[in-house]
Amino acid sequence: MVASDRKLQYREALREAMQEEMRRDERVFLMGEEVAEYHGAYKVSQGMVEEFGPRRIVDSPISETGFAGLGVGAAMYGLRPIIEFMSWSFCLVAADQIINNAPKMLYMSGGQFGCPAVFRGNNGAGGQLGSTHSWSVESLFSHVPGLKLAVPSTPRDAKGLLKAGIRDEDPFFNLESERMLGMGARGDKDFSRYLKGGKWAPPEDDDDFVIELGVADVKKSGSDCTVVSAGRPVHFALEAAEALEKEGIDVEVVDVRTYRPLDIETIASSVRKTNYAVVVDQSWPFASVGAEVAAQIYERCFDDLDNQVIRVHNDDVPAPYNREMEQACLPNTKKIIEAVKAVTYNA
Amino acid sequence: MPITIEMPRLSDTMEEGTLLKWNVGVGDKVSAGDHLADVETDKATMELQAFEDGTVARIQINEGDTVPIGEVIMVLAGDGESVEDAAAAEAPSSGDAEGPQADADDTSSDDAAADEPAKSAESASAPKPSGGKIKVSPLARKLAEEKGVDLASIQGTGPDGRIIKRDILKAAEGGSQQSGSAPASEGVISTEPIGAGTAAPATAATSLEAKTIKLSGMRKTIARRLVESKTTVPHFSVSAAVSMDALLELRSTLNQQLDAQNVKLSVNDFILRAVALAAVQHPVVNSSWGGDSIQQHGTVNIGIAVALPEERGGGLVVPVINDVQNKGLRQISAETKALAKKARETGLSPEEMSGSTIAVSNIGMYGSEMVVPIINPPNAVIMGIGAALQQAVVKDGQIVPGYVMRVTLSGDHRVVDGATAAEYLQTLTSMLEQPAGLLV
Repeated sequence: MVASDRKLQYREALREAMQEEMRRDERVFLMGEEVAEYHGAYKVSQGMVEEFGPRRIVDSPISETGFAGLGVGAAMYGLRPIIEFMSWSFCLVAADQIINNAPKMLYMSGGQFGCPAVFRGNNGAGGQLGSTHSWSVESLFSHVPGLKLAVPSTPRDAKGLLKAGIRDEDPFFNLESERMLGMGARGDKDFSRYLKGGKWAPPEDDDDFVIELGVADVKKSGSDCTVVSAGRPVHFALEAAEALEKEGIDVEVVDVRTYRPLDIETIASSVRKTNYAVVVDQSWPFASVGAEVAAQIYERCFDDLDNQVIRVHNDDVPAPYNREMEQACLPNTKKIIEAVKAVTYNA
Repeated sequence: MPITIEMPRLSDTMEEGTLLKWNVGVGDKVSAGDHLADVETDKATMELQAFEDGTVARIQINEGDTVPIGEVIMVLAGDGESVEDAAAAEAPSSGDAEGPQADADDTSSDDAAADEPAKSAESASAPKPSGGKIKVSPLARKLAEEKGVDLASIQGTGPDGRIIKRDILKAAEGGSQQSGSAPASEGVISTEPIGAGTAAPATAATSLEAKTIKLSGMRKTIARRLVESKTTVPHFSVSAAVSMDALLELRSTLNQQLDAQNVKLSVNDFILRAVALAAVQHPVVNSSWGGDSIQQHGTVNIGIAVALPEERGGGLVVPVINDVQNKGLRQISAETKALAKKARETGLSPEEMSGSTIAVSNIGMYGSEMVVPIINPPNAVIMGIGAALQQAVVKDGQIVPGYVMRVTLSGDHRVVDGATAAEYLQTLTSMLEQPAGLLV
């Protein structure tokens, strides 16, 4: 069921996902800094405390170690916590709970109980927040077995993936982007093109709309080069594809949607078709998710590659505060265009 | 600065060269154009000439050594430079800096080399010249196998000459766009030798000597290409007996008349013209297999197998006469003689050995009756010509003496079918049996 005239911002899609799941399952609750009375620092949880009350929409102090740990304990006890980090950069003080405990709980309890907690919040640089607020944590967390990790790039994906994550039995990390929260607003120019066709439609107004974790999405099909990405850089990849189309290079954009599990088969079949791959990753290059994707492409597609896999990354430096410098460090449309031209020997 | 001379690339397919003979020694003065050495490639022995003036400072490799293209083989001292300085500088080769020679130089010339470490480190990591190992993308390698494209015959357009998808596709579709319109045959090929002229009858040997003979570059190439041809090309042969009385008589008449002009036509000249004219009527035989297509050629270029004398290392080469369908007997005769002479005496250039569209291997002068030749890819057809021998011929119910020549066509069955080949042979036979047509 697609409501074609419905317009939903990325932040509204996240809210709708949480509301629907909280209505469906009374074990679900939301906790984080300013999520209740202030309606969320980024207004993702606007109006939720009115509907669900302060027992299920819980304001916490600035104490990531405390409320993340509380979320892990609640999940072990049988509840379905959604823990909001205002920024994923702040979760690092709670690393012991969220990556040393939560993903291993099912294994360490011999399968008796797991940790179905959801952690979500803003991830990635681009808002002049300085280097301690600008982590792209996907590489750091994807390393850990036992957790699931999504990086949704559109309102529709944000809703479908978050709902699937809330229902999932494993710890689920949803990496959102402050730079995308307003995407999809009414009249938003960028959003208009997503309204064409099913995949680009806004999320279904349907309680049971979920997107299966571990299924990549071909956001644009093409025959000449595969660009693999996730989250915000998917939009740069689509812009690059639009520009390259004018030069006769037909780019296929594969949005992995979840780094864990990784749908390598969709990526590999695309590369087998195009023979060229560019991997775009908003995290740092060393030991990164982009490196992992590239390595898996080599493992599966070696004989179908006509060139090396080229990676486009955040520069290997802490995020600068200065706007021009910050933008220069991030993956962007121009870098992707150059990479596609280089990998297809059109440079 | 000392002038380094590297093993040059003397043919498209050459990857290494053997230094047969040095014509200069340390201390000799040389000027541009001087014949420095004889180098054996995969096809022929060529002269290595100097491009600059200088004095020979060091000879880097010994006679008989085989080294890859790009490796330094000698060093000249430039103008105003002492031979000793030049010999000491630039010790290792610019190619792979390995091997005993380079090591020895490193230790013996520590002082001289000490101020150059950065430079040698740089040259070691610099991209290698495009000799030696072929750079090719994994996909291109797979495609080349699928399409039967020889990687060694392609110039890659990727970084550092890497062969990439588009190069293979281009080669597979164009067959031969690299080297002009006709397919580049590698020149060295196929069947039994031909036309070596004076093959001296073996003197009665009283004993045989057992020995192992090192393969020459040419022998290796002959071996490789013939195995490739015989194992990958589906061969078939069709044979016909041609009555040669009329042709021999015509030839004798013509040669008497042309004697004053110092022209002497051979039977082979008539055969070449007939092969070309008959191919014009049956263009299928003048074709090449291209993997997923067949190229029919717009001109008949005949490769003639020529045996080389033992003094030049033996083996055989295949010089090519172009546009034979448009050439008269006299011109064919002159060109054949010139090429065969050049092949035996000084060696042919790679251009003179490439571009054949059909081949002829004539063993008539040895008296053998018949030869079933091996195809010289990418040619689809090769003609094996036997000797015209006097035999008992049944003519109008009577047995009479007559000259008969056995012509055998070996064909690539992917390109030419048996019936087509037989029709071509029929046309060829009729042209040879009524040779007046070859004069016009």
